[in-house]
Amino acid sequence: MCGILAVLGCADDSQAKRVRVLELSRRLKHRGPDWSGLYQHGDFYLAHQRLAIVDPASGDQPLYNEDKKIVVTVNGEIYNHEELRKLMPNHKFHTGSDCDVIAHLYEEYGEKFLDMLDGMFSFVLLDCRDNSFLVARDAIGITSLYIGWGLDGSIWISSELKGLHDECEHFEAFPPGYLYSSKSGGLKRWYNPPWFSESIPSTPYDPLVLRRAFENAVIKRLMTDVPFGVLLSGGLDSSLVASITSRYMAGTKAAKHWGSQLHSFCVGLEGSPDLKAAKEVADYLGTVHHEFHFTVQDGIDAIEDVIYHIETYDVTTIRASTPMFLMSRKIKSLGVKMVLSGEGADEIFGGYLYFHKAPNKEEFHRENCHKLKALHQYDCLRANKATSAWGLEARVPFLDKEFLNVAMSIDPEWKLIKPDQGRIEKWIMRRAFDDEERPYLPKHILYRQKEQFSDGVGYSWIDGLKAHAEEHVTDRMMLNADHIFTHNTPTSKEAYYYRMIFERFFPQNSASLTVPGGASVACSTATAVLWDASWSKNLDPSGRAAIGVHNSAYEKHLANGNLTTSKITDSAPMRDGVGAPGLTIRG
Amino acid sequence: MCGILAVFGVADNSQKKRSRIIELSSRLRHRGPDWSGLHHHKDCYLAHQRLAIVDPASGDQPLYNEDKTVVVAVNGEIYNHKELREKLKSHEFRTGSDCEVIAHLYEDYGEDFVNMLDGMFSFVLLDTRDNSFIAARDAIGITPLYYGWGLDGSTWFASEMKALSDDCERFMTFPPGHVYSSKTGVQKRWYNPPWWNPESPIPSGPYDPLVLRKAFEKAVIKRLMTDVPFGVLLSGGLDSSLVASVASRYLADSTAAQWGSQLHTFCVGLKGSPDLGAAREVADYLGTRHHEFHFTVQEGIDALEEVIYHIETYDVTTIRASTPMFLMSRKIKSLGVKMVLSGEGSDEIFGGYLYFHKAPNKEELHHETCRKIKALHLYDCLRANKSTSAWGVEARVPFLDKEFINIAMGMDPEWKMIRPDLGRIEKWVLRNAFDDEQSPYLPKHILYRQKEQFSDGVGYSWIDGLKDHADQQVTDSMLDKASFVYPENTPTTKEAYLYRTIFERFFPKNSARSTVPGGPSVACSTAKAVEWDAAWSKNLDPSGRAALGVHASAYIDNGKTATQ
Repeated sequence: MCGILAVLGCADDSQAKRVRVLELSRRLKHRGPDWSGLYQHGDFYLAHQRLAIVDPASGDQPLYNEDKKIVVTVNGEIYNHEELRKLMPNHKFHTGSDCDVIAHLYEEYGEKFLDMLDGMFSFVLLDCRDNSFLVARDAIGITSLYIGWGLDGSIWISSELKGLHDECEHFEAFPPGYLYSSKSGGLKRWYNPPWFSESIPSTPYDPLVLRRAFENAVIKRLMTDVPFGVLLSGGLDSSLVASITSRYMAGTKAAKHWGSQLHSFCVGLEGSPDLKAAKEVADYLGTVHHEFHFTVQDGIDAIEDVIYHIETYDVTTIRASTPMFLMSRKIKSLGVKMVLSGEGADEIFGGYLYFHKAPNKEEFHRENCHKLKALHQYDCLRANKATSAWGLEARVPFLDKEFLNVAMSIDPEWKLIKPDQGRIEKWIMRRAFDDEERPYLPKHILYRQKEQFSDGVGYSWIDGLKAHAEEHVTDRMMLNADHIFTHNTPTSKEAYYYRMIFERFFPQNSASLTVPGGASVACSTATAVLWDASWSKNLDPSGRAAIGVHNSAYEKHLANGNLTTSKITDSAPMRDGVGAPGLTIRG
Repeated sequence: MCGILAVFGVADNSQKKRSRIIELSSRLRHRGPDWSGLHHHKDCYLAHQRLAIVDPASGDQPLYNEDKTVVVAVNGEIYNHKELREKLKSHEFRTGSDCEVIAHLYEDYGEDFVNMLDGMFSFVLLDTRDNSFIAARDAIGITPLYYGWGLDGSTWFASEMKALSDDCERFMTFPPGHVYSSKTGVQKRWYNPPWWNPESPIPSGPYDPLVLRKAFEKAVIKRLMTDVPFGVLLSGGLDSSLVASVASRYLADSTAAQWGSQLHTFCVGLKGSPDLGAAREVADYLGTRHHEFHFTVQEGIDALEEVIYHIETYDVTTIRASTPMFLMSRKIKSLGVKMVLSGEGSDEIFGGYLYFHKAPNKEELHHETCRKIKALHLYDCLRANKSTSAWGVEARVPFLDKEFINIAMGMDPEWKMIRPDLGRIEKWVLRNAFDDEQSPYLPKHILYRQKEQFSDGVGYSWIDGLKDHADQQVTDSMLDKASFVYPENTPTTKEAYLYRTIFERFFPKNSARSTVPGGPSVACSTAKAVEWDAAWSKNLDPSGRAALGVHASAYIDNGKTATQ
């Protein structure tokens, strides 16, 4: 990842302003520790902090077209840049950077080239000939981007909130799949796949087509000139990513320079389920596997830092971001700059345990679509910012545009969970990689049921967080919560604790509005809470709340029942106090 | 390098205080990006940000003795840790970290073990059995350390000022070569070499080229102790070229060779600068994998705020020289290199600055070298350490090896005198020591090439660019009032004024300003040496160029140099 910051039309070209822009840009230095650049054209500033992954020697930014009239600052990876270069044989490229194509595409195609880009990106393009500019963000919002407005008439664009929140009167998340053009003065959506309308698709399920599409998505993400690895929790999604990567790695440029053995990484409390599951997969695939152990205290000590970096107060996101944040630091210290990660599969295939209760295929599909559209506020935000905090880039093959088209056009009947037919969640994905001759994974791993990420790192992690919040948030504080935090009122002490920290770093109203809220169970949207009447009474957002859905719950109902029951008792007072207002907000 | 922060005697052990200390410690994260640790015991906090160079897998800090009653947070490298471990046979070590010996040495030797350490270090040690603590800094001050006092009765130690300046009522530079003990409440000097005392007689040791050579080779070799990729900063001048030559000669036998037997070298400069050309020539000769970094004057100016924030000084020459080093360190780190050897210290030990040409006699020369070495922690050590640490790169400085200094400072200073009549240019004793006909360390013309001052070597227009920039930003009227605005160390040039305003913005307290040295200087001289030439006191430009008529090129092309 890189960090971009642009200040456009601020009516101030003084040295003091330049220094201020440099200073703000440095707040994004963690995203791009390798080099920085600032381009100033009158009162337009384009700043860049670079993480060098493709062409480290010459790809410093901003990037230019031939006569330097068009300037671009980009955070991202354009996987099809070599094909795009071929489309423009009459252009001369200054660098080998994959992002170099953007300036040239603009010359050739005006504002209509966005859908030609295959990758993840956020960029600002300035056309110095008429001082017009373009801003765009990738289809799903894998890369983070914010837009803000200053009282001086300026427009601000920044990879993270912290780059602009002090200078803007109002700011928002820049919507994924959109383009802002100064000429038309507004935002328009450039990403228009068939699934966006949420109509129910009917293409039959073809395992090999799905497999091929996913393999392609992984392979194109092996484009790197620096050492890389795979985040491996041992669950289905990350295990598939690791399996395909190790299968196709030998032919890549990365392997030539950095060795053909794949590095895999896993984090957890000592003895956690993920560590064990990941080790098993790593052994099977023969990766160089790295385990990182953290303690609950390490995690709690990092919470402030995590919230500052991730820029959210969403409870599940913070729970899951913390281990990822700690692990990213260790990964970076090994000299690794890029990792592949499994985000997105649960949204596309309905992998969360609450999908067991989807009443029909239409509801199931619509929930998939809603989850995908919200990814940029949850898992994309987590994966991007938890790694970028340490100058590590996360690539997410499940969110490949072409793969999404394939996976989201399958008749959702195939995605429904049908225990009677032996179809557990994400069955079509498991089936697609069930190759008897050349197995991708051992069967029992391929058909293993999900651990929610925040549980997988160790059961005592979430309990530790709750206990910590209990100690530092009093009942009296909770009573006033809805007066203090009128928007997205925290309904648990844990949520209140995170919210206090968030407000300290990002006190503006606009900031709290960038974070989503509403009722949720086990990561569901508010609509899906209605799937089971009992859920609305127990709004713990973690995976454990989807009571009686996990297989182990069927098998050892008594034991598990006790565990979850005790959780419910824990949160009982809170539910009585503020649970109900939480629900009304949902509407 | 690593970053340490320790607070003793804080009455407050709330979660809020813990969070505050974590927050302050994270201001040192650039020094140790790899991991962090915090040890909290009663009213004491020891925080650490780690750069993992030796034993990356298990050496996370703080470190402990066997029963965890002694806790240490260390920033540094102990080169003789293996020998020390031999002496501590009865002890059980938990990690492979070189710094772990400190906890165990304390158990065996109490507070009197600091002189046994060979290396660079700053550490804080807490004995939880009686809640006492000690803090110490290496002989010359290669690693930075500050200490301060809070209004709540707390005592603070930190690798950089930025971690304690907001929370201490008063703070200072921790003196190099000293150890502070909470039991006695005073710091005492543990480093007592003969040259330290100005009253001791001028040294009379003989000059033996081979002894000097061996001592320096040993100093370089022991600094090849690393488990991660490393390189050498190569400006193409004598000092860095010797470091590169010795390192590449002995690389194959060191632990560092696990990263390939070809040495990486790095040089920074404006395009076409003298250093770039000179370094390239040396790199070609030695066959190193050489990396050149070009920066523009604009890039340097854009970095000034950040440089001053990191380096924590407003000293003009230090800032001029730190900026290219700071920019280069970022690029070095981006290549995956975590440690570099660098040539600081040689000019102080051997009188390599051009103004030494005017040393009136060997006594004056010797005393000036002593003064310069003692002040190194405020100038070149501070620069080398903090410009690299800003990006998580560690700089090791073989010229400041304790044993090497003993030998180099034990020889009769007559040998260090610059004698054009005898063909002896500055640092001749060192050049001659490495003049090996059979297996040459460097080609003769490089070995006997005269010094470019670092800030000139990166390109002549760098300093001119800085001055022009300052002229635009600082008005005459601002400079006129300088003595009222800044009564202490009043800036006398627009450039100095500019740096000072930036410094004051980051570090507004009186204590901060007092950590930076001042006084008249010419071409890096101490105030005392300004007296060597009557003309100097009238032209106090601190850069190397001011020593007019001293550089050989000035003899040849006097007009050109003089007009600059």
